[in-house]
Amino acid sequence: MTTLLEPDELRRRSDSDSLAARNSILQPGDAIYVQIRRFDSSTGMSRFQPFEVPYQKWMRVLDVLNYVANHAAPDLAYCWFCGSKMCGTCAVRMNEREVLACWEAVEPIMTIEPLHNLPIVRDLVVDRAPYERKVISFEPWLERSKPYEGFPEPLSHRDMKNASKALDCISCMACYSACPVVRLGELTNFAGPAPLVQLAQTVLDPRNDQAKIARSLERTGIFNCVSCYKCEEVCPAKIPIVTHVIEPLKAKAAQLVPAMAQHAITFRAIVVRRGRIDPLELVLRLQRFRALLNVHRAVALLRRGKINPLVTIARIRSRAAQAATRILQTGKLR
Amino acid sequence: MMRYAYYPGCSAKSTCAELNHATHRVAASLELGLTELESATCTGARELRAIDPIGFYSLNLRILALAEQDQLPLLTVCNTCTLNLLDSNAAFQEDPSLARAVNKCLAAEGLCYKGTTRISHFLWVLLDEIGEDNLRRRVVNPLTDLSVAAFYGCHLTRPPIRYGFVDSRNNIAIEKLARVLGCKSIDYSGRMECCGFHTAAHNEAIAIKLTGKHIESAKVNGAKAMVTPCPLCHTVLDTLQREISKDVGKKLDMPIVHLPQLVGLAIGLSPEELRLDRHVVPTTPLKSYAYRPEKRR
Repeated sequence: MTTLLEPDELRRRSDSDSLAARNSILQPGDAIYVQIRRFDSSTGMSRFQPFEVPYQKWMRVLDVLNYVANHAAPDLAYCWFCGSKMCGTCAVRMNEREVLACWEAVEPIMTIEPLHNLPIVRDLVVDRAPYERKVISFEPWLERSKPYEGFPEPLSHRDMKNASKALDCISCMACYSACPVVRLGELTNFAGPAPLVQLAQTVLDPRNDQAKIARSLERTGIFNCVSCYKCEEVCPAKIPIVTHVIEPLKAKAAQLVPAMAQHAITFRAIVVRRGRIDPLELVLRLQRFRALLNVHRAVALLRRGKINPLVTIARIRSRAAQAATRILQTGKLR
Repeated sequence: MMRYAYYPGCSAKSTCAELNHATHRVAASLELGLTELESATCTGARELRAIDPIGFYSLNLRILALAEQDQLPLLTVCNTCTLNLLDSNAAFQEDPSLARAVNKCLAAEGLCYKGTTRISHFLWVLLDEIGEDNLRRRVVNPLTDLSVAAFYGCHLTRPPIRYGFVDSRNNIAIEKLARVLGCKSIDYSGRMECCGFHTAAHNEAIAIKLTGKHIESAKVNGAKAMVTPCPLCHTVLDTLQREISKDVGKKLDMPIVHLPQLVGLAIGLSPEELRLDRHVVPTTPLKSYAYRPEKRR
């Protein structure tokens, strides 16, 4: 049920998101105080350099960077190309959030830094090679399992629903920078949101070969995603990354490489039988002998009534359990 | 009296039983009538919604249908459950074929969802439905000098598509509430960050690494306790704090309280009634803020 907006309301909403509206706290000529993180890779030294920039009507972060480069710091390194939210080269962190410099309104006081999670080349320029290597390792192309049957292919909008959302990606790396799990580095093998969006363009295309999809998914570490939605929050292309990319990819992995999805499959099995999650059963089934290493924690939880082994053993068939069994066992996954 | 169908979720029925208990006590004091949905299932957390979307929608819409049957709005106390229910409700409105399929499945129990259930997290009920002024009148024990750090968790603030009504980068609902309760809220690094719960069952290291610096930041900035509207965040911050502490190499000893427990203290309920003694990290520093009618502060 889509609600149609009245023309006035539509205008009000689009107006409130314009650069002019977001700039409305500033008057032409007002000083914008900006500090930019300067980084020199030859010395490895990083420092903040302050600048004062006069506000001009409808000013964007990119206009401030251009002003600084033209008037104060000709050696400032930053990237941009299209200036219109297409090329994805100008993403930076402004006041601790990832933005496209070409699309973000200025604020009276700004701290501008390079993106996180990628090596810095100089100042605001980052090296995208780690991202590109990950994407290449996924073999991001279509391989048909049967020969092309000719035009038109039997594809519906519904079949392509998620893949087509992923095709909106402009590879700006904002999500990659915002991801807290990528930030943990070597701790996990999580590929990160941006590479997964690239992967989804072909993996969620029904024409792709399933064995090849399984091979790609095995390299993603996708079940290390914490579902924090930081990627969706910053995506300038407004791709619903968690719901339309990561979750459909997880579903594919559960189907083609069940060993990856052991946690989710066990979780589901417990809900099917109990209706609710019994945390003790979940942990015992997932961690098995490793759980014994946490005897201290188990005792603490037991003493405070947070776990109850009797409930875990008893497996009472509550009304919730009956409902869950009936609803979920009609589904595909068993 | 405002009446709600109450959905505690799995955590408040097990590892965070104190949250369920405190919610009931606080609701009774604030004259909210709660009818617990006894036959409600899990909403599927992040696991079911990823690997079995149809099953996920069916379980969530069944919970909404149960509340609709009683003609009551649905009260939640868990971030992830709240988002799951809101997402399912939106999918129900947007996809008529999904709506038909789910209702066919629910018909076996004599249920049919029409799409009218309003979902409200306890935090929103306090601020928007009871309101700051009404709540302030109930505060008999202002928590003066108590500095708290709000840990919102993700699923009550993000994704923006679902929570257009809050600033996902600067939610201030708990800070507003803290002011009403008379306590100070501090600024620190973790307010809008993720606790890592959803990978903790198979990889605790992520949750431990994600939260250590935030608990430390709360401590450095003077918080005597952290307060969270989500039992899943609570589980990580409280139950894993020993391991988190070991990882950052410092004693943290940070009490983590559930939102209703903080409200309860301010409206005069005792720490025992609020089950503050059922946490893994001792909440002893909060004892001195308990209500003592004989010597009002």
